Amino acid sequence: MMALPALSVIALIALGPVLWAVWESLYLHDLRMPWLGRRFIGLQNYVEAFSDPRFWGAIGHTVAFAAVSVTSELVLGLALAAAVDSMMRGRGVVRTAMLLPWAVPTVVVGLVWRFLFETPGGLMNTMLVRSGATPPIWFADPLAAWVPVVLADVWKTTPFVALLLLAGLQNIDRTLYEAARIDGASAWRQFTAITLPLLKPALLVALVFRTVDAFRVFDVIFVMTSGGPGTATETIAMYTFSALLENLRFGYGSALSVIIFTVTFVLALFAIRLMGRRALVEPSS
Amino acid sequence: MLTFAGSALGKEGESIRRQLEHFQAMHPGIRVDVQSTPDAADHRHQLYVQWLNARAADPDVLQLDVIWAPEFAAAGWILDLDRFRPPVDDFFPAALTANRWNGALYALPWFVDVGMLYWRSDLMSHPPTDLDGLRQLAARGVREHAIPFGFVWQGARYEGLVTVFLEQLGAFGAVILDDHGRVAVDSDRAVAALTYMRDSIHVDAVVPAAVLTWQEEQVRLAFQNGQAVFMRNWPYAHALLQDPEQSRVAGRFGIAPMPAASGGAPTAALGGSVLAINANSGDSEAAYQLIEYLLEPAQLLERARIVGQYPPRPSMYDSHELEDALRVVPSEARAIIEHAVPRPATPVYTELSQILQIALHRGLTRQLEPRAALQQAAKDMRALLARTELGATQP
Repeated sequence: MMALPALSVIALIALGPVLWAVWESLYLHDLRMPWLGRRFIGLQNYVEAFSDPRFWGAIGHTVAFAAVSVTSELVLGLALAAAVDSMMRGRGVVRTAMLLPWAVPTVVVGLVWRFLFETPGGLMNTMLVRSGATPPIWFADPLAAWVPVVLADVWKTTPFVALLLLAGLQNIDRTLYEAARIDGASAWRQFTAITLPLLKPALLVALVFRTVDAFRVFDVIFVMTSGGPGTATETIAMYTFSALLENLRFGYGSALSVIIFTVTFVLALFAIRLMGRRALVEPSS
Repeated sequence: MLTFAGSALGKEGESIRRQLEHFQAMHPGIRVDVQSTPDAADHRHQLYVQWLNARAADPDVLQLDVIWAPEFAAAGWILDLDRFRPPVDDFFPAALTANRWNGALYALPWFVDVGMLYWRSDLMSHPPTDLDGLRQLAARGVREHAIPFGFVWQGARYEGLVTVFLEQLGAFGAVILDDHGRVAVDSDRAVAALTYMRDSIHVDAVVPAAVLTWQEEQVRLAFQNGQAVFMRNWPYAHALLQDPEQSRVAGRFGIAPMPAASGGAPTAALGGSVLAINANSGDSEAAYQLIEYLLEPAQLLERARIVGQYPPRPSMYDSHELEDALRVVPSEARAIIEHAVPRPATPVYTELSQILQIALHRGLTRQLEPRAALQQAAKDMRALLARTELGATQP
């Protein structure tokens, strides 16, 4: 009974729209083509998505983006956290300063990084040309276009990961390291035998948050490349936006949304299982 | 009581407000309000779709981008104007074709935009008359005058790229849809057009690869700063390029039709705005009176003077007043407009264009060979037309 208000709020703001999207995804509903009517077509929208190369391209781009950016963020975030953790003084100030990129709106981050890589005249290009290199036309090259996008994302979210990991590091009992040192363990051995295992819950939390986020990546791509050149940087969220809000194909767009939702939901479930329920319920124990 | 929806910012807003006041003074029984709408085409389009889809009775008179007329007509959102017997012979034929759907006329052109070639009159005495000449003059300008770029055009993945391609298609004698509405964008001539565009970037290097990320303004800035021998752009650039305060090429450039290859014809993509009436308007008679008034030569001339937009009536191009208003030689402008070709008049133009934008950009950024890119586009377009039950009208 006590949980009833909370449950009804969740039903209203979370479950309701999801179920509505599922329902909508079973219809042919193109706002721009009213002459087609609004007919029930079963799973036809899903069939269209799964037989569409642009959809599979978008899935591929999303997975690749998530893999590269989340890995970089975890590695860099861990290095940053370890550096801050080993500081004797000024940790509080650094911890706050470190969060600045995270505090900048993603759209602004995207625009700034786009200007840096603009051709010609962007700072990055000017610097590369001066040092004798011939940089690509970043946003007109299907592979090079990913460089600024991934850099912008890593720049923005590494501090978030670092902060999560820093909290984990500071929870580790210092006496463990002293004992290890007395036993003659090297720094690397201390890292692999003490730090990594005890940091596992924090690492997993960071991994899950970032993977789910990366799977839904939209703003940074929308601002920087709009999915181009061609559709070389189009992610699944970008493709859904195009179908739903540009072409106003509500049925098909809803089907795409349901697919994203299902994948992220399964990812989250899988992660919760991996961490063990206790990691979420009693994070301190 | 009427509502007019369209561009109402800056000089356009100034001009339309003054015209509406004048109109109300002439017709004391009619009151007209202005509903300002976003200038970004996508945003305006989205707003219109929301209003019209909800069967709202206002705005009564809508300023539409020329490519939306068939879409809104097929959706039943705007009135068939034939009932008012508009003076169709007084307008450029291409500007009317774009507003027809199923044989009926749904909108009247307010002003026309055309793609044209801007050339440097200090580097050559005549503009090129064919594509080979264009390439040679561009290469010579780069070589002999140390100008960084030979030719610049809009190559980012957006609607502007389709208009550039449409002109190249015409130059090679190809089309996107044929007279029967069948997809023809994978023809040999179309492939030749896209190959020419790609090679001018990656083989002849007269077009900088950076254009693949450029829209109108980046292209204009390059030409305005004296960095390009040729530019493809719309008429709006003309006044800005003539302003010595900001332009390094003021007084040193001319306009001409885009040149053609053998077997094709000079082609200008047709843009611009049209005026239409909401199908649910409470007073369509008054709405048509307003459109009639806005399309009077005197009003079009005022708009040309204040906003610099080209009138849709050919007869006006014989007058000196238009020359004073636009600061271009009317016969030159008229020669370009007479080569104007509308984009395919189909209700699913936006989707069609999106397919084409992606394919063209893939071809130009060398992700696909031109033929493969256009075959993919043609396949997707045919699927789209089939899905939306708009297949070719005749076998």
